[in-house]
Amino acid sequence: MAQVTEQPRKWGMVIDLDLCTGCNACVTACAMENNIHYTGEDEVAYGRGLYWMRIQRYWHGEYPNVGPEFTPMLCQQCGEAPCEPVCPTYASVHSNEEQINLQVYNRCIGTRYCANNCPYHARVFNFFDYEIPAPMNAYLNPDVTVRSRGVMEKCTFCVHRLVHARIDADTQGDPSLENEVTTACAQACPTNAIMFGDLTDENSPIRTLFERSERGFQIMEELGTFPSITYLKGGGVYGGRD
Amino acid sequence: MAAETSYLTGARADLEQSELAEEHLMLDPRPREEMNQMVMEAMTTTTPVYWAWVGGLALIVAVCLFGVWGYMTATGIGITGIRRPVFWGVFIVTFVFWIGISHAGTFVSAILRVFKAEFRRPFTRAAELMTTFGLAGGAMYPLIHLGRVWTFYYMVPYPNARWLWPNMRSPLVWDFLAITTYLLSSTIYLYLPLIPDLAMARDRTTGLRHRIYRLLALGWRGTEAEWHRLRKAINIFAFAIIPVMFSVHTIVSWDFAVGVVAGWHSTIFGPYFIIGAILSGVAAVVTILFVLRSTMRNFKYFIRPEHFDALGKLLLVFSMAWAYFFFNEYLLSWYGGEEAVQRILTLHATGPSAWVWYLMLICNVAIPWLTLWNRRIRRNPLAMFFITLAINVGMYAERYTIIPLTLGHQRMPFDWGIYNPSIFEISIAIGTMAMFCLLYLLASRAIPLIPVWEVQEGQMAHSLKKVGKAHVPSVTELE
Amino acid sequence: MITEPIHLALFEEDQINEAAEAISILRSQGVPDRNISVISGVPLSEHILGRPMSWSRVGLIGLVGAVAGFLAALAITYLPVLIYPLNVGRMPVFPIPTTLVVVFELTMLGLLISTLLGVFVETITPSYGPHGYDPRIAHGKIGILFTCPPEVDCESYDQLVALGAELTHNLQERKLWP
Repeated sequence: MAQVTEQPRKWGMVIDLDLCTGCNACVTACAMENNIHYTGEDEVAYGRGLYWMRIQRYWHGEYPNVGPEFTPMLCQQCGEAPCEPVCPTYASVHSNEEQINLQVYNRCIGTRYCANNCPYHARVFNFFDYEIPAPMNAYLNPDVTVRSRGVMEKCTFCVHRLVHARIDADTQGDPSLENEVTTACAQACPTNAIMFGDLTDENSPIRTLFERSERGFQIMEELGTFPSITYLKGGGVYGGRD
Repeated sequence: MAAETSYLTGARADLEQSELAEEHLMLDPRPREEMNQMVMEAMTTTTPVYWAWVGGLALIVAVCLFGVWGYMTATGIGITGIRRPVFWGVFIVTFVFWIGISHAGTFVSAILRVFKAEFRRPFTRAAELMTTFGLAGGAMYPLIHLGRVWTFYYMVPYPNARWLWPNMRSPLVWDFLAITTYLLSSTIYLYLPLIPDLAMARDRTTGLRHRIYRLLALGWRGTEAEWHRLRKAINIFAFAIIPVMFSVHTIVSWDFAVGVVAGWHSTIFGPYFIIGAILSGVAAVVTILFVLRSTMRNFKYFIRPEHFDALGKLLLVFSMAWAYFFFNEYLLSWYGGEEAVQRILTLHATGPSAWVWYLMLICNVAIPWLTLWNRRIRRNPLAMFFITLAINVGMYAERYTIIPLTLGHQRMPFDWGIYNPSIFEISIAIGTMAMFCLLYLLASRAIPLIPVWEVQEGQMAHSLKKVGKAHVPSVTELE
Repeated sequence: MITEPIHLALFEEDQINEAAEAISILRSQGVPDRNISVISGVPLSEHILGRPMSWSRVGLIGLVGAVAGFLAALAITYLPVLIYPLNVGRMPVFPIPTTLVVVFELTMLGLLISTLLGVFVETITPSYGPHGYDPRIAHGKIGILFTCPPEVDCESYDQLVALGAELTHNLQERKLWP
């Protein structure tokens, strides 16, 4: 077990809903990065898509002045996660090094309690053994486990990238290397609506946005889950500046 | 004139006594020898119809339960209807249902024993047997519903090379411990009062049966020390198993109540579930008693309308208590004003699956309240059979409302979903029902279903006492 | 080990008073209480028959089991967390309310299982008093087993017969278990 002596980080994300166009690039990038299985049209239509990230689309306004609102929804990496204490086998635990919520596939026995208890519905379940069609199996990311049937999975904040960056920073003796890390969704976002960074780092560009933005709110803050994601939205139902 | 009066009162007294004897098992004593024979005869009589039922049920268990479970283990839990966000469906509903059924035995046998309710005597064992088999059916579901059932032992706390330990803060681990405790203790509680009857059966059988009873009877002779010890152990159990019973269904309710799920996070869930469990359990006892009475030989002597009457009163009380808790839960959630909860409550009553909600209210409240106040209906076993079946349908609907119908409409409307049970889930649920019936059928011919010594003890304690001009039953405290 | 011949006086199920009387007759003839044992198909308390109280350690064994269960519960909840603390939902490492649930269940499990073990152990432990059995006990008869010391005059058993007892002499000891 790697013993890291430096102080723990707290990774966080800021999603600017005013910039989000609902293009689904983040969803695609996430699927490619994390070896997410394709479950097929029927299964997705029934609600069994394995997307770790999805774009919630709500309509607002009265006809004919109707417009869509997009909310990228993913695991909020809660500080006090409802999914964690209910797991009987510690498959859902908190990481002290990255301050994120881990899902340990090997320990998961598939009670699906965590998924019920997640108010964000961020967790998805492997209902079957899914085949990866022929050319796609060559695209698998070697850093990410391919999940088997009967386990829960969810967004990891691309933890493999975080760990890689930490090892690079340690071996090359340059801590700044770790600050350059980003998740697949943030990397793919064409409008830069998704920003990722270290909330413990004073110079991190997202820290101010995360904590002080007047447009900032957290989804279901009232549940006391302390999410690691702040959404930015002007003039929305959650307040903030127009 | 005087002689005529006394003759008349004498005749009336005789009539009164024969009526009372017909009414009360305890006032209609028969020699122990005869009762033993009746019970042994009921136990050893099998008809072709019986074997046809055994064969049919065994087939259903093999195909619908183990066959489908095997298929599901081989292909994946996806053959059920569950989907995001409804991750628990018929499996957990049926699990809660069986755990609820299993409360009857303890209730009838322990609580009524502690309070010395004499009408319990002939059917304590039938109820305890229900507890054990209901738990056996229920305890399968935590395994059946697992995504990876072959790793179920990760939940068992034992030191291992995987460096894995169950999370004692998870309600599922509490569930595991509580159900294990309850299953073991209710089986022991079934066994202890059975020992004298096993000794009775040992003395009256030969061959393989004799050898099995001999082993199980632990060399019972009926000495004072043995009785004293047995009575002490039964007493410990009767008192200790009551809190265990309460804890089991409370913990089952905590599976839901400790979550942040809107509609689940309610402080009243513990007692609400317990009352519901006792309601469905006692109802199931009545259902079983009707079946036993009409199918097993000589049982009409032991199970009488007075027992249906007494249980019917209990059912009415528990139905009212259930309605009280239901209303309490509903009203306070409604006043709580949380938008998601209000929406769920509205959808329960008006949504696409509202019929389940109305079925629950009709079966759990309307039917018992409209019928059970009437003594004639309570004393009619066939009517009680249908009423109690309806109550259990209603309790199933209650659990269905609480689990999938609440999960489907949580706080984010974008992720709402309707759950449709698949044929496989329903077949597994039917399979455990068949397993329960099969085990009960087999047990009814394997162990004496009537605790003969308890019945005789009760009959010894009962007598008619003349008060004024009437003869009233009176009970002597022999213990 | 009792080598003296065992005698059995059988009474009908409703002859409780006679059975109690018979015991006092035996006692007055010099048969000590430890050489008498009563077997019956329903529990008859010692007060009814006027016999010394029998004792049982089942309660004590159950209590020991409960304590063992309590300690086991503390061990399985706290020891692993002590060795390898894992953070779940920012809960405390030693949460008391959740532990109470586990402690309750395992204490009860210990109590109830050891009660059964107590019954089992006490049953297979050799006991005092004459051993013997008659299957008619399960038919509701009340049996008084006694051994008669050499100095007692065995003809006086006529008194028992007068009470309605059915006497069997030199009962063979039967092995009932296993």
